[in-house]
Amino acid sequence: MAPQAGSTHLIGRRLPRVDARERVTGQAIYPADLNVPGMVHAKLLRSPHAHARILSIDVARARALKGVLAVVTAADFPELPPGTTIPMGETGYDMWMVAGINLARGKVYWVGQPVAGVAGVDVHVAEAALALIEVAYEPLPAVLDIAAAMAPNAPVLYEHVITKGVEPRPRAPSNICSRTVIARGDAAGALERAAATARTRVEVDTAHQGYLEPQAMLAQVDANGFATVWASTQGQFTAELMIARMLGMPQSQLKVVPLEIGGGFGGKIAIHGEAVAVRLAQKCGRPVKLTFTREEVLQGGSGPPAAALIDVAVGAGQDGRLVAIEGTYRIDAGGLPGLSPSLVMQASAALYQTPNLNLQGYDIVTNKPRTEAYRGPVGIQAAFAMEQAMDALSQRLHLDPLELRRRNASVTGSTMPIGTPFPSIGLTTILERVAAHPCWTDPLPAGRLPRGRGFAVGYWRGTSMTSAGHITIAGDGRPMVTMGAIDLSGTRTTMAQVVAEEFGLPLSDIHISTGDTKSVGYSDGAAGSRVARTMTAALVEASRDALAQLSQRAAERLQCRPEDLAYGRGVFRARQAGGPTISLAELMQATLTDGAVVGRGVSTKLPLGVEIGAHVCDVEVDTATGQVTVLRYTAFQDVGLALNPAAVEGQMEGSVVQGLGWALLEGFDYAPDGRLRNASLLDYRMPTALDVPKIECVIIETPVPNVPYGVRGVGEVPIVPPAACVANALARATGVRLTRMPMTPERVLRALNAAGRA
Amino acid sequence: MKTLITCTVNGEERTVLADTRDTLLELLRDRLGLTGAKEGCGNGNCGTCTVLIDGAAVCSCLMLAQEAPGHDILTIEGLASGAALHPIQQALVDHGGTQCGFCTPGIVLSAKALLDEVARPTDAQIRHAIAGNLCRCTGYGKIVEAIASAAAALEGR
Repeated sequence: MAPQAGSTHLIGRRLPRVDARERVTGQAIYPADLNVPGMVHAKLLRSPHAHARILSIDVARARALKGVLAVVTAADFPELPPGTTIPMGETGYDMWMVAGINLARGKVYWVGQPVAGVAGVDVHVAEAALALIEVAYEPLPAVLDIAAAMAPNAPVLYEHVITKGVEPRPRAPSNICSRTVIARGDAAGALERAAATARTRVEVDTAHQGYLEPQAMLAQVDANGFATVWASTQGQFTAELMIARMLGMPQSQLKVVPLEIGGGFGGKIAIHGEAVAVRLAQKCGRPVKLTFTREEVLQGGSGPPAAALIDVAVGAGQDGRLVAIEGTYRIDAGGLPGLSPSLVMQASAALYQTPNLNLQGYDIVTNKPRTEAYRGPVGIQAAFAMEQAMDALSQRLHLDPLELRRRNASVTGSTMPIGTPFPSIGLTTILERVAAHPCWTDPLPAGRLPRGRGFAVGYWRGTSMTSAGHITIAGDGRPMVTMGAIDLSGTRTTMAQVVAEEFGLPLSDIHISTGDTKSVGYSDGAAGSRVARTMTAALVEASRDALAQLSQRAAERLQCRPEDLAYGRGVFRARQAGGPTISLAELMQATLTDGAVVGRGVSTKLPLGVEIGAHVCDVEVDTATGQVTVLRYTAFQDVGLALNPAAVEGQMEGSVVQGLGWALLEGFDYAPDGRLRNASLLDYRMPTALDVPKIECVIIETPVPNVPYGVRGVGEVPIVPPAACVANALARATGVRLTRMPMTPERVLRALNAAGRA
Repeated sequence: MKTLITCTVNGEERTVLADTRDTLLELLRDRLGLTGAKEGCGNGNCGTCTVLIDGAAVCSCLMLAQEAPGHDILTIEGLASGAALHPIQQALVDHGGTQCGFCTPGIVLSAKALLDEVARPTDAQIRHAIAGNLCRCTGYGKIVEAIASAAAALEGR
């Protein structure tokens, strides 16, 4: 154990990002910005059909075009059967699915699924070559929504998909990939006997993560066959595993270098073309750059978050205590199976104590792009149902909606949906803070148009998995940190704060960078609200390891035993009165020839840092146009401990605004043939600065035991409550409940008209 | 077909060979190596390619490179003077107004176009000025604060 450094009070400080300067000056490098000598450009041919058999692909004419250097199809890659997995956290990732996202084989399952790749001397040539690739398709009937996919005689996407989790096992294939059940007690019976019940069915359209940087990558293969991929990825190690497996290439022949990432939000965990770029580079012997257009990003080139059809029923006694929660969660996985509804089922019901619970989840395939994660995946959809049901229940009981939550709130030790006790949580503290806050106690200011105040809570479990990093000590004694995590929104800064704190040094003494897959230990990706908590643990360990090594060297220099040394603020001192001292800089200069000082740290399976938030909003509804304006929005969240409150607020504000975007504006509009009709940022409308108010954040700190500094996850849960919060405000303003999301003016107006409230 | 284009970028006269199909954004990024302007959509809907043309904020993906001659073009690379950041840049750093950073160069230049015209803009004016610049990370609040504080800093000079 290293001596204590002595706090520099950097933890919990509102500090600017250590990497802000390169961002505001345009010097931050994203893959599309990178050019290397001899580089050529790739384009992908995408399916025009939502569902079709590929009868043949003829690339001869494309290959013959002047300036075309290579063409690849699925035939250039080893075939990976379903169930071929790579490790990722507790679950693994199905490579058959990943391969399908990157290149179709045999059949296409959505409009925009890649079918072939071309490398040409410039983008124009590559694009022209796409038109010369002849693909013979046999179009098949497509299913585009959950109800159509679940219908008894629906066209079936996959002959090998037999619904899992149903006894007896069905004989025939269907589009229902799995059923998941979480149940205890008798929910149906309890609902029948309940004094008050509320039932909600909601339908949520597919949306998009909306990262501003389209996917971009650059692949280079050297003379010995060693490949380097510069990528925009949430996890360089996951990307490497995926690329290697898709190519049938040993991992020792491949390096993934993560550059800056222009937003991911879950959509850049899987690879989207990286392996294709490497194969093209191998074939043509030139570095290959592949950059998606925005239309490609939206029209099937990247995984959007899932559409959902959810039923929730809640029942309570006269005392306002829940007797049962029942829920059916049908999740649209898109064109490839494997989206487990388990996490969202748990998230949906986790915040309430109830003796009877019956949750059923279905993983459904449809002929739309394979869905991928988006900030607390499927959390907002589930909360849109559950929190509206709870709000309606409070109205039936003539009970304040906050009071209903108070009476039923889960507390530390109460039973989670999966049956195990809750770790330390601060939900009741959050509810108390809301009750006392002006956003709740201020009377709703009157306006010309109907106004309402909404309330909703949200839960996200997050994950832990593995994080690794190491710290080498430079010749001037300063710590050089290499971590396995990429920086989505402030990781370098908060992790530099942690190392500075451990070493008792100023922040400016810490150099921090993200390692590539050959320069740092395996780390899982930036997903599941795991990085700040788990990388903190890894870097605390690495710092203490480095200080222990330094302490050995210092003891030799100062001619005492390591345990007789004190360390603080970059200086070792022999403890005896007037004892000699040596600074880290002097120590490194004196021991330069003794080899490197490398402190190593890894954290794996750390306790979870579950996230809980509560939101309050005031809205105004224009009953003539259906326009909903959010007037005021306040988000409360238990973050365990805010390493850097500015970074925490940044996550919360951004996440809430994404939630408001989906709540009110954002939804994919599919034509009957499976083509996305709004595949541009004009027609797929994300919130601008004019669409949202300033988001007020209230940070609450209930530390997680046995986690350094007690840090929780932050970034995911703030997107969970907004849609429900707005819907509840809308219902209180107008008496009408919106059950289709996004709640566009058209839909609001239709609902108001139907209720005679327009 | 390629033609020679001469234009003024960040105060310097530059002459480059450009494809007649090139947009101004492609000219800047691919021919001049000024990659601070980004391509988020290529349709003028996201604002990540914003540059100043004779002081006005313009989506460089919507202008052809052939139209560049005769104009004074300012990109993000030309804004800071040496090591000193422009007050708008400094304010974004100080207020946490940048996260992934992809929208940031465009936001900085839209804000500059505003502050060059309006010394003390209201929050509504700021929000209007950056309404053509999508940001998916910050929720805009800290960006608006930063621009307001930059306005105050610029006025104090």
